[in-house]
Amino acid sequence: MTAVVEAEGLTKFYGRRKGLEDLTLQIQPGEVFGYLGPNGAGKTTTIRLLLDVIRPTSGRATVLGADTRDTAVRARIGYLPGELALEGRDRAHDFLNFMADVRGGVSRGRIDELAERLDADLSIRMGQLSKGNKQKVGLIQAFMHEPELLILDEPTSGLDPLVQQEFLTMVREVRTAGRTVLMSSHVLAEVQNVADRVGIVRGGRLVAVEDVAALRERAVRHVEFHFDAPVPTEAFEGLPGVRDVVVTGASLRCTIDGRPDALIKAAAKFTVVHMVSSEPDLEEIFLTYYSEEAPRARVGA
Amino acid sequence: MPALVHKTLRDYRRSVIGWLIGISAFLSLYLSIYPSIRNNPEFYQQAALSKYPGPLKDLMGGLADIASGTGYLQTVVYQLLVPLLLIMFAMTLGTRAIAVPEEEGTLELTMTLPIDRRRLVLERWAAFALSLLAVALVTMVLVLALAAVGGLKVPAGNIVAAHAGLFLIALFFGTLALGLGAATGKRALALAVGGGYAVGGYVIETLGKSVDAISWLRWVSPFHYYLDGRPVFQGWPVGDYLVLLGATAVLAMTAMLAFERRDVGV
Ligand SMILES: Nc1ncnc2c1ncn2[C@@H]1O[C@H](COP(=O)(O)OP(=O)(O)O)[C@@H](O)[C@H]1O
Ligand SMILES: [Mg+2]
Repeated sequence: MTAVVEAEGLTKFYGRRKGLEDLTLQIQPGEVFGYLGPNGAGKTTTIRLLLDVIRPTSGRATVLGADTRDTAVRARIGYLPGELALEGRDRAHDFLNFMADVRGGVSRGRIDELAERLDADLSIRMGQLSKGNKQKVGLIQAFMHEPELLILDEPTSGLDPLVQQEFLTMVREVRTAGRTVLMSSHVLAEVQNVADRVGIVRGGRLVAVEDVAALRERAVRHVEFHFDAPVPTEAFEGLPGVRDVVVTGASLRCTIDGRPDALIKAAAKFTVVHMVSSEPDLEEIFLTYYSEEAPRARVGA
Repeated sequence: MPALVHKTLRDYRRSVIGWLIGISAFLSLYLSIYPSIRNNPEFYQQAALSKYPGPLKDLMGGLADIASGTGYLQTVVYQLLVPLLLIMFAMTLGTRAIAVPEEEGTLELTMTLPIDRRRLVLERWAAFALSLLAVALVTMVLVLALAAVGGLKVPAGNIVAAHAGLFLIALFFGTLALGLGAATGKRALALAVGGGYAVGGYVIETLGKSVDAISWLRWVSPFHYYLDGRPVFQGWPVGDYLVLLGATAVLAMTAMLAFERRDVGV
């Protein structure tokens, strides 16, 4: 199985300023890869390198098995720029028809179908599109030719929540069809529900690549129990995977890593009145990568 | 027609129409007053010479024989003002090929189309050249018509030759602006350098005729190959025009190679 995106030692300096350093990464066919990092981390730099808008200082990359300089391969890529600019007096549907003409492979009615799904008005002149509409036009041109690889730079910025949901549905459909997605974001919440794997960049370096399903199992979870009578703290101390135990009167708060089994069994000795368990919070794991002492050892996968 | 050429022509359409109207208005205004000059030649010749003394006269192309149809056409249309207007138009379009969309940020999406960079520059250049050709052709027909109506008595073949030169000099400077924009991505720089070369080149060619210190520089001025053959008087200066055309081709090729090499939008 050949990788859809393959980067090896990919490095970009803007003059003396670091954009990206020594990125080695493979994205496999059919996966949704979330590319995460704070602003200025190097996400857009990576994406522009993959699309040959800018040239690497060193290292190399292939996309869909071809060198990034290979122009023909771009008809098989759908791209949404991070700083999408659409100008001019052309109406949005004329612009989309032009893009479709050059790329080929856009089936009849496809543009209208996408416009309807995203609730985009395509009769507006490009220069007068609102931010949200602009982003929708950007998404339509990226998805319309059903490309083998979608590269989306901060795709959800400027979209209202309803449209965001529709967009995520579109991404899932792409994955179901066996096609590949690389999407960047600076918030995990935007990608954690669609991504199979996430890579984290910070300061121009890839600091971790994680499997989202595995991450979810490992993630910390905040749990609260309320009992019918006060409970002794000792009953909950030293349980495997249970941390930060705080008992106040008849209630217990703690965090668990992984399985809740031991905690449930300990709580069952008392009368449980009420229980609250939060969704696993992946964000917390990521915050540790974002901070200075990010463990380098986790690079890989 | 390639889709990108077609789309670019559509983008340029309003600008083409606007400049066409402007230049046509200028031509109509100046060529329609010729009959009154023809009827009073000594007065106007004197007036012109006293209005532009010394070097100014050279800058205006000598003002020889301004009351004759040929001299008038040369001075008013082909010497300075119409080339200036057409060059400004050409340079504006030239920067709109790469530099303007790059600064606006719209070039990024265009570049991710399956069109390689050289072809992108070439197709944008073709759209620019076609737009310029359209303006040149329409204004040429207008000059031919106005010259006939106003009784300028200039052979139509010479007007066609002079207008071809006008097209070529504007094509040269537009291609220069396009190339500077393609090489640097900076509109202001392309306009400043291109405009500076145009103004400097014009001054060197016109003043260089009588100022020996700069006369050796005339061969680097594009205007030398436009003005020196005096096509309104003498018909096609084929060799000079081929120099302009060749220089334009070299610039267009350099533009493609320069754009091929660099980062876009940084
Ligand atoms: N055109 C540029 N010139 C100089 N530095 C740049 C340029 N573009 C990006 N950078 C720098 O490269 C780093 C990565 O930027 P970028 O890839 O845009 O980050 P992200 O998309 O993750 O927010 C930042 O430090 C940024 O300042
Ligand atoms: Mg970015």
